[in-house]
Amino acid sequence: MKKVIEGSQAVAEAVRLARVNVISAYPITPQTHIVETLSGFCSDGTLDARFLKVESEHSALAALIGASSGGVRTFTATSSQGLALMHELLHWASGARLPIVMAEVNRALGPGWNIWTDQTDSLAQRDTGWIQLYCEDGQETLDTTLQAFYLAERVNLPVMVVLDAFFLSHTYEPVDIPDQEAVDRFLPPFSPRFQLDTKNPCAFGSLVTPDAYMEMRRSIAAGMEAALEMLPEVEERFAGIFGRRWAAIQPVRCDDAEIILVTSGTVTSTCRELVDNLREKGEKVGLLKVKLFRPFPVEDIRRALAPARKIAVIDRNFSFGASGIFAQEIRATLCDTPGHPTVFGFIAGIGGRDVTKDVLEEIYQKTKQSERPEREDIWIGLKEVPHALEHP
Amino acid sequence: MHKKIDTEAVSLYIPRSYLTTEGNRTGSWRFLRPRYEEKTAPCSVACPAAEDIGRIEMLTTQGLFKDAWETILRENPFPGVCGRVCFHPCEDACNRGSFDEAIAIHVLERFLANRAMRGSYEPVMERAAIRKERIAVIGAGPAGLSAAYFLTLLGYRTDVFEAADEAGGVLRWGIPLYRLPLAILREEIRRIEELGVRIQTGRTLSEQDVSDLAGEYDALFIACGHGRSVESGIPGEKSTGVRDGLSFLREVREGKAGTISGRAAVIGGGNAAIDVARSVIRLGGEAMIIYRRRRQDMPAFSEEIAMALDEGVKLRELLAPVAIRSDGGGLVLEVRPMKIAGIDADGRGHVEREGTQTEEIRIDFLFTAVGERAAETWYEPPDTGAAVLRLSHCVLTQKPGGGFVYGGDLTNGTKSVAHAVASGKEGAMALGTLLAEGMEAVPPRLASCRVGQDGAPSMEIYMRGSRSDRSPHVVTSDEINTAYFQFDPRLKQPRLLTEERTRTFGEVNLNISANLAIREAERCFNCGLCNQCDNCYLFCPDLAVKKDSGPLGRHIDYDYCKGCGVCAVECPRNALILEEEAHEEGH
Repeated sequence: MKKVIEGSQAVAEAVRLARVNVISAYPITPQTHIVETLSGFCSDGTLDARFLKVESEHSALAALIGASSGGVRTFTATSSQGLALMHELLHWASGARLPIVMAEVNRALGPGWNIWTDQTDSLAQRDTGWIQLYCEDGQETLDTTLQAFYLAERVNLPVMVVLDAFFLSHTYEPVDIPDQEAVDRFLPPFSPRFQLDTKNPCAFGSLVTPDAYMEMRRSIAAGMEAALEMLPEVEERFAGIFGRRWAAIQPVRCDDAEIILVTSGTVTSTCRELVDNLREKGEKVGLLKVKLFRPFPVEDIRRALAPARKIAVIDRNFSFGASGIFAQEIRATLCDTPGHPTVFGFIAGIGGRDVTKDVLEEIYQKTKQSERPEREDIWIGLKEVPHALEHP
Repeated sequence: MHKKIDTEAVSLYIPRSYLTTEGNRTGSWRFLRPRYEEKTAPCSVACPAAEDIGRIEMLTTQGLFKDAWETILRENPFPGVCGRVCFHPCEDACNRGSFDEAIAIHVLERFLANRAMRGSYEPVMERAAIRKERIAVIGAGPAGLSAAYFLTLLGYRTDVFEAADEAGGVLRWGIPLYRLPLAILREEIRRIEELGVRIQTGRTLSEQDVSDLAGEYDALFIACGHGRSVESGIPGEKSTGVRDGLSFLREVREGKAGTISGRAAVIGGGNAAIDVARSVIRLGGEAMIIYRRRRQDMPAFSEEIAMALDEGVKLRELLAPVAIRSDGGGLVLEVRPMKIAGIDADGRGHVEREGTQTEEIRIDFLFTAVGERAAETWYEPPDTGAAVLRLSHCVLTQKPGGGFVYGGDLTNGTKSVAHAVASGKEGAMALGTLLAEGMEAVPPRLASCRVGQDGAPSMEIYMRGSRSDRSPHVVTSDEINTAYFQFDPRLKQPRLLTEERTRTFGEVNLNISANLAIREAERCFNCGLCNQCDNCYLFCPDLAVKKDSGPLGRHIDYDYCKGCGVCAVECPRNALILEEEAHEEGH
């Protein structure tokens, strides 16, 4: 049934349909609507889950590590500083191979205190062993959340479903909410490969010497590889029931494109319109939407970008002292391909600033007019500000 | 079609032991030992009748109304009466009071008594083996009836002698109906009789009769009460239209008072004065209370004062009566203004004259209610002597082969029904110990039966019920883990509309539903008592809290308890204690 709902509510609906057993979270803007809706579902009996109110995000994830070890389906949601506070436990969840699913609403980190969208919070957690999926709209968010549980439980790795603050989390759109029966066909009950058992209590997470630690890390890497390999099968299965597919990456008019813009998240929708407009004017432009960031779909991206001469990567994030993070990944992906296209890295929309069609067109024109990028990070729409601290 | 990946083939190499960890007896690490130890709630220490309030509210929460009511009956045969007329000092001691508002304990007691009456509950009481001694009780007021009740539970055959034609004493002949309906009192007295107590009414005894009874019975409990008003000593108090409050109240309860028209003044600040004024209003008159000190100095219960004022009773503070004289058909009361000059030893304001002026108040009737005393001097206990033992709520005197107990208002500092119950109970315990073990055994035995050492004597402890296992430590508010409680306002006692109250002697307080009662009982911290909340079980990181079928439903497995103390910290109600582990010899 189609309903006009917020991106946050789309996540909550998916969590309800996934028949999650334990939810643990601490409120933080712009994530709060997700757990608020879920706590409503729990209190009115719509969802038969244990909702744990905890005192911090650190505890929220710690509680889920315990619950997931007990062999039940678990969910949390957070954002920005909250995710940063979870950092230690993000490593623990993946190292313990627990299929926890999290909705992560991209929000800038402070100071300056900023509640608007920015991908730096989730991208800063790229090495924690979590699968990361960046969503574009409400429907994709709902569908991806359902797929996240399926994928996590297949490869025993935690999954982060990432959505932009406000542009997605608080935007109302028509979303098709599937029937429970259909979701049950897609997502069977969680049958854990291991769990805490009070009848035969074993020790988990104990000391591991150099003799075995390296193999355990390799096992996590193998799980990531399996996730990459398995995603098409998950998409296939999902499309068979719901008729929708999303894929790890989505190339738009890339086959004959000379310049390809690379986006993630809600900027993609704006960019789709720009590409259509420019094509009408005869510009040879394409768009590559990257949804799966970890594991990074290297082969798919190489194939999709091969036709182009130039690539413009739009990053709503920044790694200080380096460049935009998607641009880094794309450069690393392409550098071993002979005759690969030149990569331009653009920084735009930081801290929730609008990335309009004009901003994207400026990026396109800059890319078209230069043979080589003047530097690895080109900041778009920067204002003149006094860079020295003024004394009163 | 993409290839299918076998989930079981995904690498899963994790740090988990192959064998059970049960071989690792982590209990050997422990230097602190948690132990379940139920403690004493402050309300139960403050209750003159030593009711096990924390447990009563816990049972109420669980909907076990009969068990809750029987728990009251172990300490007090009058839950219906006390739920209505007790001034509930328990609520002043309630630890919840420092969190939001005290539990409405008296409202819950009243609810349980009503529930028992409506449901015709038959109490199952523990009783001691039948004993050969016979005991006579003089006076069927709350103290005498309580003594007879507890003596019967202790196995003694008990006869009660009452001068009036119906039992109840001040409950029957003093307290007005709007506070205590007759049906409630009769039901509770009926239950005492059903236990085997024989009450002979219409038996006015002389001093000689009583000494004859002393030969016939092994022991006597004398609780003749304060049946006579203290004279005010105001010049003119014999004038027509001046009456003593106590006899007026008795007339009202006998149904002989008729209606009143005109203005009445009541002199006094105790509960009797309030009862007189509120009765005058109900009989159609106007009432004004004249008191020497201030409202906050009045010995009457503050709730009663507030309700009296609601009903239209006027209060004139800091006025001392000087003289009364007849004037035409009415009376003139001459009063002198007073002022506060310091504080008396009892905490009330000390008053002295304010100027030399006096004021004249014209009234139609005057009631004096300045205090009561025993009607006969031989009702009073003898002075201290070798064979006289002054206990907290009664006086015990030894006679060959038995003893006398003087109790009730005759010996109690605070004249309340709950204190009268305490007096009857303590008297029964004293006689029981005297007859079985002798005089010397009485003080230590009674001292061991107090709630939390300083509280009132408890019959359940005396009879060595499960309550005796509790630690006498009185739980303080900072020992409650209030993280587990949410602010929730106290139950409001529903009342008859004020307009209705002034026209009828119908009970002012109304019934509450079982839902409301459970909800109010759920507010109770159950200080020091385990209510099986399972926090210790859930928090124990070693799964060392084991469920069992014992009274607490759980025990600690010391093979694995590391002594981390989380259970004790997370216990909301301080039912666990953490002690230093005893050192083994040779270590």
